[in-house]
Amino acid sequence: MSSDVASIRGGSHSQWAVETHGLTKRFGENIAVNDVELRVPRGCAFGYLGPNGAGKTTLIRVLLGLTRADAGTASLLGYPVPSQRDRALARVGAIVDEPRFHGHLSGRQNLQILAAAREPAAAGRIDSSLERVGILHRADDRVSKYSMGMRQRLGVAACLIGDPQLLILDEPMNGLDPAGMHEMRDMILSLVAEGRTVVLSSHLLDEVERTCDAVAIVDRGRVIRQGPIAELLSGAAVSLEVECSDPERARELIGRLALQSVVELTPSGLTITLPAGTSRDVVAEINRVLVEGSLSVYRLQEIQVSLESWFLQVTSRLGAEG
Amino acid sequence: MDAPLSPLNALSGRAAVDTDRRGSWVPTYRMVTTRFMELRRRRGLMIALVVVNIGIPTVFLAIRLLLHAVDAKTYGPAGGYDTFTNIVAGVMYVFGFIIAATLGCTAGSADLTEGMFRHLVVTGRSRLALYLARIPAGLAIIVPMVAVGFAVVCMVCVLAAPKVINYNGVSVPAGLSQTGFETWAGNHTNDVICQFGYGPKANVNIACRYNPRTGGVIDLNQSLGKSGLPPTPAQIKSDAIRIAQQDYPAYKLYFLSPPISLMVSSGLWIELEAVIGFIVGLGLASLIGQRTVSVILMIVLELILTPLFSRAHVPHMINVQRGIVGLATAHLEPSGLPLLFGGDGGGPSGVRTASLLVPETRTVAVLVIIGWLVVWTGLGAWRMMTRDA
Repeated sequence: MSSDVASIRGGSHSQWAVETHGLTKRFGENIAVNDVELRVPRGCAFGYLGPNGAGKTTLIRVLLGLTRADAGTASLLGYPVPSQRDRALARVGAIVDEPRFHGHLSGRQNLQILAAAREPAAAGRIDSSLERVGILHRADDRVSKYSMGMRQRLGVAACLIGDPQLLILDEPMNGLDPAGMHEMRDMILSLVAEGRTVVLSSHLLDEVERTCDAVAIVDRGRVIRQGPIAELLSGAAVSLEVECSDPERARELIGRLALQSVVELTPSGLTITLPAGTSRDVVAEINRVLVEGSLSVYRLQEIQVSLESWFLQVTSRLGAEG
Repeated sequence: MDAPLSPLNALSGRAAVDTDRRGSWVPTYRMVTTRFMELRRRRGLMIALVVVNIGIPTVFLAIRLLLHAVDAKTYGPAGGYDTFTNIVAGVMYVFGFIIAATLGCTAGSADLTEGMFRHLVVTGRSRLALYLARIPAGLAIIVPMVAVGFAVVCMVCVLAAPKVINYNGVSVPAGLSQTGFETWAGNHTNDVICQFGYGPKANVNIACRYNPRTGGVIDLNQSLGKSGLPPTPAQIKSDAIRIAQQDYPAYKLYFLSPPISLMVSSGLWIELEAVIGFIVGLGLASLIGQRTVSVILMIVLELILTPLFSRAHVPHMINVQRGIVGLATAHLEPSGLPLLFGGDGGGPSGVRTASLLVPETRTVAVLVIIGWLVVWTGLGAWRMMTRDA
């Protein structure tokens, strides 16, 4: 979305849907959110990733004014929170943790309660929101009879009744079956296509990679990487898989090259891990050395780095456990 | 999931946000009505409240009606003044408070325990407005519910009132003028002279012979008139009329059915008790975030602490005792009702001679009640505004 459109839609001229500076939240000795600097551009799907206990949900709670920060500043859609949280949240929809509702009421009645707390027009969006998340046919059933996935959808509908410019969804895929996850992904993409910003907190890295344009990685309360996915993955190590007539000799030949590589034998051949930023010429050089060494090369393939493997590389905790 | 939502309308959306006064502490009408719906749809709770507040008095009165219809000589009329005063002061006062407190505790804790509080906070609406919306919504349920229960009691007590007054064990027609009462006394000399109470002004010197089956009967052999002879029928009638003249002020306070003024004041009084129960329950539950514990505390307050500290005069705590809201409402009790928490008086005579209550002026009682309402609303709202969601 262009910055002009963003400035019209936003409460201020900020180009960021979410912006934090030095945001910190402590629970006693434990620092759940540690000096977080985060900038989420408008009009994109943004993934907020981290292992369990990394502080993802706490950051969301601080942003939404559900709990107070101990230090730092934050703004949503250009409005500072908590000082102007009423204006900021007026165009924000959010699911935090597992969405829970009054079980004795129907889905529609629960949304009526939430719509009453929003602007008068919100009540008129209830049916379209329920239809959009695919539970309009169950709208008059009591929520206590809903499955986990249906409650998740109702949570998204609760976000949509406010016609939000920014949606913050905490683990929205939880409880959804594969078809439901597919539908949720499509819906998120369609929301982004309408010019809305979606911040997605999840540990389902594959889903995030398919859905989001940019991500931030959080570990132990601190944002350790953020940016467009393609840009971040370009900084990951390069892996090559090689199938040839003599893997042992191939290993020896590659070892003679002055590359900072790690070569491992596999049942099908070799796996070569090269440093991040290795040019394609190096790959061609490896191929040339193997051929000139009288080896038959059946396959030489650069393996695309997935968000999951990159995530495992950069998160210190999983790295330490590995 | 791809049905179209209304298109993102930036300008109209922004204008709406700027004018919907979301940060205002005043709840909107729609917030109140949806909160009312949320409470009213709690089927189990509503049934329990109706059973306690309306069902129990109704069943009690229905049984009395039935028994009276089957055997009128053994079982007295179902309604009447005494039945009314005893039910209002003994049952409806306590039940009204408890059901109101239960509803208040539910209203104060349901959003927290059922996970809706977070959704509501995320709307950006003022937390104070979210809290205050519960008050009119809850009162819109509890006030009519108490009124319906009270109306049932009033209706039965008026329609099924006895035809005659039982005055000192004697059946007397109701609503007689003083002349009529004296005429009736002259025609029922045995009952009046042997059963009615009288003082020295009556100057009666007629003896009665009492029989457990027939009651009192004039014993002419043991009685002496002014001449030293047994009294003549004219003297007996004259004495009976003098007794009637002396008893008329007390007689005219006896009613077959509760007077309208007493019903109105009693209704307002139990509604006040219900409002207090709801507001305090709401604040307490919001403060501690749990319904069950709050309800237990409210019941303990009403059934144990209030009776105990309303009667026990502890010298060093007397002002603390005066701060108990139940004592304050007891001091505002209509004079026609039996005294709460013990003591003499009340009832038809309307005279309270020996109240056991810790003394308190009506002004202090009113201030104590206002204080409780304000403080508990403040505590509940403060917790609502500062609680992590």
